[in-house]
Amino acid sequence: MADSDVQSWEYLERLQGTEFYRLYKNPTSALAIFRKRLSSLAKSLVMALLYLNAPLPVKDLDVWVKPGSRSEKEHALDLLQRYHITAVSSSKAYTLTENFSRSLRQALTGGGDTKSFGEIAHPPSNPSITVEDLDGFARNQWEGILGYMVGNSAIPLESTSTVVDPSPGVIELLKAGHLIELAGSSRLGYSPKITKDGFAFVLQDINTQVWSLLFLYVDHAEDFAMTKVAVLSFLFLISSLELGQAYTKSHLDADQLRILSDLSDFGIIYQSSSDSLDFYPTRLATTLTSDSNTSSSNNTNLSSALTTSSTSQAHGFIIIETNYRIYAYTSSPLQTSLLGLFTNLRSRHPNLITAKMTKSSVQRAVQMGITAEQIISYLTSHAHPQMRRHAIQAASAASDPAKAAQAASVIPATVLDQIHLWQIEKDRMTTTPGYLMKQFGTQAEYERYWQFADQIGVLVWRSDRKRMFFVNQIDSLRRFMKSSRESGAEG
Amino acid sequence: MNAVDGSQHYEQSSSEQNPSLLTIILDTNPVAWSLLSGTLSLSKAVASLLVFINAHLACNYTNKVAVVASHCHTAQWLYPTSAQQHLRNVRQAKRRLDDSGPIVNDQLSEPTKRVRINGPKDDSTNGIKLKFNIVQRKPIASSDKYRPFRVVEEELLDNLSKLLSTTGPTGISSNTSTMVAGALTLALSYINRQNSAFAESSGGATNTADSAPPNASSRAAETNDKNLLHSRILIISVSPSHDLAHQYIPIMNSIFACQRLSIPIDICQIPTPNAPSSSTVFLQQASDATKGVYIPLSNATSGGLLQYLMMAFLPTQSSRIHLVLPTRIDVDFRAACFCHRRVVDIGFVCSICLSIFCNPPENGDCLTCGTHLELGDYGGRPMVVPRQKKRKKPRSTLDQSRVSTPTPGPA
Repeated sequence: MADSDVQSWEYLERLQGTEFYRLYKNPTSALAIFRKRLSSLAKSLVMALLYLNAPLPVKDLDVWVKPGSRSEKEHALDLLQRYHITAVSSSKAYTLTENFSRSLRQALTGGGDTKSFGEIAHPPSNPSITVEDLDGFARNQWEGILGYMVGNSAIPLESTSTVVDPSPGVIELLKAGHLIELAGSSRLGYSPKITKDGFAFVLQDINTQVWSLLFLYVDHAEDFAMTKVAVLSFLFLISSLELGQAYTKSHLDADQLRILSDLSDFGIIYQSSSDSLDFYPTRLATTLTSDSNTSSSNNTNLSSALTTSSTSQAHGFIIIETNYRIYAYTSSPLQTSLLGLFTNLRSRHPNLITAKMTKSSVQRAVQMGITAEQIISYLTSHAHPQMRRHAIQAASAASDPAKAAQAASVIPATVLDQIHLWQIEKDRMTTTPGYLMKQFGTQAEYERYWQFADQIGVLVWRSDRKRMFFVNQIDSLRRFMKSSRESGAEG
Repeated sequence: MNAVDGSQHYEQSSSEQNPSLLTIILDTNPVAWSLLSGTLSLSKAVASLLVFINAHLACNYTNKVAVVASHCHTAQWLYPTSAQQHLRNVRQAKRRLDDSGPIVNDQLSEPTKRVRINGPKDDSTNGIKLKFNIVQRKPIASSDKYRPFRVVEEELLDNLSKLLSTTGPTGISSNTSTMVAGALTLALSYINRQNSAFAESSGGATNTADSAPPNASSRAAETNDKNLLHSRILIISVSPSHDLAHQYIPIMNSIFACQRLSIPIDICQIPTPNAPSSSTVFLQQASDATKGVYIPLSNATSGGLLQYLMMAFLPTQSSRIHLVLPTRIDVDFRAACFCHRRVVDIGFVCSICLSIFCNPPENGDCLTCGTHLELGDYGGRPMVVPRQKKRKKPRSTLDQSRVSTPTPGPA
């Protein structure tokens, strides 16, 4: 994918085993990773193992999972292994790693006095702060960051005065993550220029954006003499707090206070001043470990609270017709300039923007590094409720299941296909980083391994004649090869 | 360019996990729990249940939970607190404010005593503290618990202790059974409400499921699977089965409603000692008809209960597809008669309304629909009509006729 440079959750998988070991000492971290990163089958496995006295033998697991679901099982086990949640003992049985299981149990049952879920300040120093205030603050900060990235470079707009410029620290971070480049001199002042990664970033949904920026922050934590694990566990702690509550800073150490003031720049937490005694998490913080599912009610709350500065539309505002015309009910300069990235804007009205997607506009976007997937996911997540209703009706009216599944997509199928086709015209080559497996001893060996890779969904390409294949992930395959070699040696 | 095939469409796949709503029906029948007190007390069971609820909530940010108590004379919400109960609470709180201090303490300690009837010393299991009095006095408890978990716990324990404190001896003596049917109905209506609320918030698929014709609705359900709230019901049953017979019709109606809405009913049957045949007939049918999980616990201990809950009952619908579920093969399909509520093996069925009777009704009038049924000369089991034999006899012997009519079998 083109956005592989932007930090995402895969970032976590690059941590060392010992770092996970320390991370899982915190119940909040264990809970957050469990909730956010595991597949539903993996979650079931973890929960089944959590209160089990003895390790679960590998054979028992094979019996428990249906034979037809092998790929899901391998995927789940792979995830658990990657996040260092399970360990396979010498007697071929699964156990949870000790710190993880202890922390998760503690999260479920409570108890202890580690203040691991924050301490509520009562009475709060400033009781007049409402949830609306917090939403407004978060929106201003976040739109300020996005607007800073997009607004000045892509399309000049007579922006309203509410836009807040991000703090120097945020700008530094954006630059370090290659999301923007600064042009100009110190005398004339710097003007930001958005990069390819930056375009990918601004089109993501808000939850992904927040995490991308946070992972960037974690990645650069060592520059500020903080360990990654400390920052991560504090972030997970923040994500488990409750909206609208004031939390006291009294038990936080210097590093954590420093993180707090940085998070305040992002709009993730609110504090009236850096030396106030308590802080409020905003909606950006409390939905950190929620799903990025746009249709889930919580996230619509999030996006409605954060993206609609003046429009009354709650969920989405974009209507796309099959003739590529786009009507967007918004007056936000940020959304306007985002739309302008891949469409030709036609007209602006007080609460409506009309635009048209053309071959040249999409290809211009592709040239800038925006992928078709990103455009589609942006359009889907901001689609008008009318579009969703229409899609669902079309799905239930369709005659055969295959058509119904197709009609279920919110964006008209023609538009969906055409965006892809326009992109393919420009770049016909895709690159997949991975591993080439070759020089197998026997045909049987070759077949066993590529079939396994296919089952767990990492196989990209194979050639039976040359007896080689290509995978994009090797860890689980390597384990499989090792175990099958061992069993071969035994037998 | 030729490689681009117009017939191939780009599909959007989503790996998002659906939110799921777990409705738990907890059988709080005091008679049954007092029988169980030797092995598994109510407070221990509730502690295990709370860990299970937390685990369910931990699985997904949008997961929801609801708990109904199926008590001896009523079915009541434990979580979330219903509006009526809430009003009552507010009123009581006001009254308490008017009263003097010591009386408040008396009122508070009473539920604590009652709950601990079964298990005097086990107020902490797996770290969960069942301190009812503290819960009521101090709304903001320790901060070492994820807040959504704590909210559920406090409200549930609060309502449970209130329910138990309001149960007098008269209520128990009048009825030794439990109101499963009422609880099921409450659960179903709650699920329905949550479903429509969810559909509205996720972009308005409000009426499609109802308006679509029946044969299309299943397909629509498949395709719209991504957007639906997955609901399931878990019944933790302790009461012996024969008491449920008088609720046969409402229970079966709820079961069929669940079947139609594809809501699995999971049954966790905790056996009561001194009652050997305690497997509940209708609950077996419930899990069988709705493709739920049925597990009779072999030994009732709190650790065992928790492990059963975590392993068998926690997986959501989306992961159940991949798992081999513990179900019952020999399901007890017996029904209860409509006249005396007796569980019968063989009964009489009205040919008009399909009501079941253990004996032929008086005068041959169906008790449900009033149709007069021609009973004929009722004499017992149906027999082979003798006339057919008479016709065949002149042509061939008995042995030949047997040969000439082959019986279907493994040939």
